[in-house]
Amino acid sequence: MTVNIDEKNLKQGVLGLVMALVEIIRDALKLQAIRRMEGGHLTEEEIERLGEALMDLDIAIEQIKEQQGVAETVKSVRDGLDDIVDDVINGMLNPEKWSEQAEEAEQAEQVVQRC
Amino acid sequence: MQKRETIETIINNMVTAPEEGRYVYCIADSAESVHLGKIGIDGNEVYTVPYKNICALVHKCNAEPYKSDDPEMVKSWVVSHDRVIETAWERWGTVLPINFDTIIKEVSASSAEQNLAAWLASEYDGLRNVLQRVNNKSEFGIQISWDPKGVAQQIIRTNTEIQKMESEIASESKGLAYMHRQKIEGLLKQEMESSADAYFREFFGRIKQLVDEIKIEKTKKAENGLQMILNVACLVERDKCQELGQALDSINNIDNLSVRFIGPWPPYSFVSRG
Repeated sequence: MTVNIDEKNLKQGVLGLVMALVEIIRDALKLQAIRRMEGGHLTEEEIERLGEALMDLDIAIEQIKEQQGVAETVKSVRDGLDDIVDDVINGMLNPEKWSEQAEEAEQAEQVVQRC
Repeated sequence: MQKRETIETIINNMVTAPEEGRYVYCIADSAESVHLGKIGIDGNEVYTVPYKNICALVHKCNAEPYKSDDPEMVKSWVVSHDRVIETAWERWGTVLPINFDTIIKEVSASSAEQNLAAWLASEYDGLRNVLQRVNNKSEFGIQISWDPKGVAQQIIRTNTEIQKMESEIASESKGLAYMHRQKIEGLLKQEMESSADAYFREFFGRIKQLVDEIKIEKTKKAENGLQMILNVACLVERDKCQELGQALDSINNIDNLSVRFIGPWPPYSFVSRG
């Protein structure tokens, strides 16, 4: 099999992936920051600095995505990851799914027996 | 799906010599021996092969699967396949659709048609049961979506905690305001998730009461910035359709919600359970 690598596509793909990871790390940082703020461990000045730093990060990420034209790639990487996580969590938490899966397994068994 | 795959496996196992074949579209609840005209794939003549009080809809073909690298070609085959199933469904009311590209071949001593009859005979009880189960019922797809922006506004309007924070933000310094805004966004997301969850449970319960069988499908991306919160396939008795339609209308009338009710179709999603 031949793999055709278009230099521009490769760059977009890698950069999109990197930016998606940066966004995910940023989101994790944000959650931590909010948690600490709510826990009362931070002074008002510290919250202010944290807020400004995160806001600058937001702006920088948006700028890079726009300049490099990778906004769509980043979105599709993140949507793809979200879908995977959704599937796993849905399978674990949704009781409707359990009965569905049990039913499917049962059907599969019946079909096997019939054959 | 398992059943269909099994049918294919049986069929593949039954055959060795790639010569004459019968392309099978579906099984219908009728003993009629009839030619339906050149409505099949590539304009092939479609006719029934009856066994007891059921029949298979087939066309004569070479025992070679329909294969093409041209997606348009494949698409037109699949459309023809579905159209035959729909024709049968309109004529006899109850059909079991069979997967695209299911072909029964001849084996040295026994012709394709004999093999088909043998398969119908060996599967008769199972097929009869499924036909009974889907008798006089149609499949419908129901997709409920909401407008996330509208829902968010509605939550902001009614949630006092969010309102209080919003009003405080106005007088705050940049960094502080940013952090509080993030907190509001988090709260809003939580509220929306629990709201979507509550809607799902409520609507699923309502729909379930009016249908014979229901299957949860994966929610897909809805168009126009809408977000799908429920996607189900259901098997509905003919005289229940109207009542179901009315129930869905009342959901459609709720602010920010929209319902897609599509069908009726032959019971594609409900023929796998024996």
